[in-house]
Amino acid sequence: MREFIFRLFGRGRRPPDSDGDARPDGGTVTKEQTVGRSRLRDALDSDLLGSLPFWLPPALLIGLFVYGAIGWNVVISLTDWSGLGQPDYSSLSFAMYEEMLSDPTFWTATQNTFVLLIAFTVVTLLLGLLMAILVDQNIRFENTFRTIYLLPMSLSFVVTAIFWAWMYNPEIGLINVALRSVGLDFLAYAWLSDPRFSLAAVIFALMWQFSGYCMVVYLAGLRAIPTEQYEAARTDGASTIRMYRRVIIPQLRASTTSAAVVLMVFALKAFDFLFVLFGPTPGPSTDILSVMMFREAFRATNWAYGSAIATVLFLMALGVIGPYLYLQYSRGDL
Amino acid sequence: MSSQTANDSTSGIDFQRIGLYAVLVVMAAFYLSPLESGLMTAFKSQEAFIGSTPFVPPPPSGFTVEPWFEAWSRLQLGVFNSLLLAIPATALSAIFGSLAAYGLTNVDWRGQVAVIMLFVAGIFVPYQSVLVPLTQFWTMVGLEDILAGVPLLAERTGLLELIITHTAYGIPICTILFRSYYATIDPEMLEAARLDGATVARIYWKIILPLSVPIFAVTLIYQFTQIWNDLLFALVLLTSPENQVVTLSLNQLQGSMVQQYNLQMAGAFVAALPTLVVYVLFGEQFAEGVAGES
Amino acid sequence: MAQLILDHVTKVFDDNGSDIVAVDDVNIDLEDGEFLVLVGPSGCGKSTTLRMVAGLETVTSGEIRLDDRVINDASPRDRDIAMVFQSYALYPHMTVRENMSFGLEESTDLDGDTISTKVTETAEMLNIGELVDRKPRELSGGQRQRVALGRAIVRDPEVFLMDEPLSNLDAKLRSGMRTELQRLQEDLGVTTMYVTHDQTEAMTMGDRIAILNDGRLQQVATPLEAYHQPANQFVAGFIGDPSMNFFEMEMQGDRLVGQEFAYPLSQQTRESLGDAVRVVLGVRPEDIELVSEASGDHDYETVVDVVEPMGNENNVYLNFTADSDTTFVATIGGMRSVEAGQPAVARFPESAIHLFDAETGEALKNRSLDELENAEPRL
Repeated sequence: MREFIFRLFGRGRRPPDSDGDARPDGGTVTKEQTVGRSRLRDALDSDLLGSLPFWLPPALLIGLFVYGAIGWNVVISLTDWSGLGQPDYSSLSFAMYEEMLSDPTFWTATQNTFVLLIAFTVVTLLLGLLMAILVDQNIRFENTFRTIYLLPMSLSFVVTAIFWAWMYNPEIGLINVALRSVGLDFLAYAWLSDPRFSLAAVIFALMWQFSGYCMVVYLAGLRAIPTEQYEAARTDGASTIRMYRRVIIPQLRASTTSAAVVLMVFALKAFDFLFVLFGPTPGPSTDILSVMMFREAFRATNWAYGSAIATVLFLMALGVIGPYLYLQYSRGDL
Repeated sequence: MSSQTANDSTSGIDFQRIGLYAVLVVMAAFYLSPLESGLMTAFKSQEAFIGSTPFVPPPPSGFTVEPWFEAWSRLQLGVFNSLLLAIPATALSAIFGSLAAYGLTNVDWRGQVAVIMLFVAGIFVPYQSVLVPLTQFWTMVGLEDILAGVPLLAERTGLLELIITHTAYGIPICTILFRSYYATIDPEMLEAARLDGATVARIYWKIILPLSVPIFAVTLIYQFTQIWNDLLFALVLLTSPENQVVTLSLNQLQGSMVQQYNLQMAGAFVAALPTLVVYVLFGEQFAEGVAGES
Repeated sequence: MAQLILDHVTKVFDDNGSDIVAVDDVNIDLEDGEFLVLVGPSGCGKSTTLRMVAGLETVTSGEIRLDDRVINDASPRDRDIAMVFQSYALYPHMTVRENMSFGLEESTDLDGDTISTKVTETAEMLNIGELVDRKPRELSGGQRQRVALGRAIVRDPEVFLMDEPLSNLDAKLRSGMRTELQRLQEDLGVTTMYVTHDQTEAMTMGDRIAILNDGRLQQVATPLEAYHQPANQFVAGFIGDPSMNFFEMEMQGDRLVGQEFAYPLSQQTRESLGDAVRVVLGVRPEDIELVSEASGDHDYETVVDVVEPMGNENNVYLNFTADSDTTFVATIGGMRSVEAGQPAVARFPESAIHLFDAETGEALKNRSLDELENAEPRL
């Protein structure tokens, strides 16, 4: 499993010289025209044609459904389309975006989205890291523990939302029953309906669902660190905590980056879980952009307005993945 | 890590080690508690779950399997439709992913990176940013009218749209999963096949495909879980109640039976059962798929 | 069987906009049935050259001809060439039989029975007849190597290309396979181009060797010619182990003067130098004699630095003075006892020296072969 992550953005083009070793430092070519001719031929000879039937159909599907749809969505967001009619593409304006900026609901949802994005990502990464370190202690039944920790990831958000609604039930839910049984009655809040706690309760439940994923990613990172480094740190007399802080965790940066990107993008598109818990109109404490977008477009039929919110969501996602992909590309990992 | 534990275990009772296992077990309890309390509740009568602690097994007087029958009768159509959706959509996106990964990894041509970029970025696109055009697109296509001559398919228009949509959005992650695997295939072996006279297509068919079995397992399992679990696309694309998938049915059940937690829990388990079975049987492959998303 | 000609072949790679010349204007003619070894250090372009012949890389300029047919733009499958790869590149999901039949199935119209017969014959010839139903992972390294060879042989191609085929074998197996491969090639009589970085393979296997450095062809010659009559300093240094000793010298009157010693030249040798002033003096370790007392112009007092006993011979590293940086090596018989720190007199016989132009590296004078010819009966 661990190789997977590192293989993931595997090699792109195979280095041309199969010697694989140092390329000759050879000078530049004086015969310009021959080089130009060969480039053209290289392009034709390089099996582009043979490879087309394989990647072009899926690429077209993605082009249409993903990128075409994104572009179309932007165009729709510039119209004033709402209700049952068809969009009028003849007069495009930023009216929807102006409306959005003056809509207090939008700002509340944006704020909640950011809180969710940051808090969820941070706590989930930390818990996942902790679990990965614990599981990496050469324990017995490692597979069983790993399987249990990752189990929530295999469940639908509809399912987990129903579980957590029950867990959070103020009177007879497990959380409050447990709190009362240890004498913490004053902490037994109505977690989901109390605006002070509802977003935190959602974040906690999502952390439950996603920390196993982070564990898997970190575990792969940990296993890629040679045992000698643990031994060297021990020989240097470092305590366990210092060893992890100074030697091991700094080497998990790549794992952290990729897991954080996935978590942040998830936080932006999180919909199912909140929708099942709170419906399309969750109220200011748990309203987030993705739910607001759905509400505006598919409940209020403010299609253009919904598209404008969706465009903002897309740009936010781009803000997360753009740098990540650029990083991957400049490292030559794509 | 082995060295460390070897040292630790030399001293008789190792409190550090006991503490470690205690933490691991408590964590396991934390991860399982929602499922455990849900499972217990699903076997309790209304009075029993209101009157008892959630994670405690039902008392003999309060034991019932009624919620399961009730949940099954409400969800069976959804389960059937979800299978009808998830199986073809999973297979299609995996096949497309395998083809694309081969064309973008093992066959060498310039400009691959740009195409690969678009595939990778496709994994991360929030569905919300395509929802409105997507519904508009399927309205304009009018699949139902196109299929009017084939009533069997026409009734299933919503599911067909959903299959195609899930296939398209599943291709990026499938491609990346396959690509990471294909990148480890010895390029000299493929060159040997070229020198042996095999064409690009023959190499795929005779060499790549037979070698792809493990990664097909990973991709199919991961993608099946994803499609089975999705709510959002179904919510905006499915209009007719006959085509309802299980996540929709479950959401409705939850909305209409607000206080019947035993029924809700049984329903959640019914809806989760296929993915749970897949997960228990193929946990390793699922973990590989999950890890591949990063 | 065929004649393979590389005519001014050049390969330029584009590395993010800057051009890298991997193979620069290489000319090699392989006679029908010839075994040519392409040798050179890592990254010298030898693999690229081979891959161009195979059709796995495009040719930037120049021509590759197979029996007068230009094959630059022919696809690999149309070239009738078989290749043996360093990693063997066997198909892991196929049995040995399937591995060997694959090429015939893909590139010929032969029926199943004919293919099966050919595969069986070839497998038996290679002593892997009883392994044909196994998968590659059930075979040892040496057996896989044979399957890789068999896969090439069964195709009965015009040309064999071999890319370091022995480098994944352990040393003992490798020397066995060297002779076997040579014998096979002789029996089959197929024109063969063999790439290696191992100069022992180059020396022992090839009818001729082609030495490449930095993408440029240095010399094409028989192994002994390359050894005794190197075209330039690179070839002289590359072929032979331990390497030839080199000393930078300057022509002053009738002698070469270096940092640590001076070497008088005979009239005859001086003439062969023309008007070169800065030259490199080369002498092979086995041509340096250790004598008991300095008696001639070409005898030098030295101090033994390190002795490497090889069993059959000793490699003796010598310094001109105890604290000199210039070390050179002499090979002497294994039975002679020499110890580090002891003084020794080294003799560089004039008949055995090579002289190279210090600027171009070109050989100005190679050793005389008279002695060798005289010595021949002894072999």
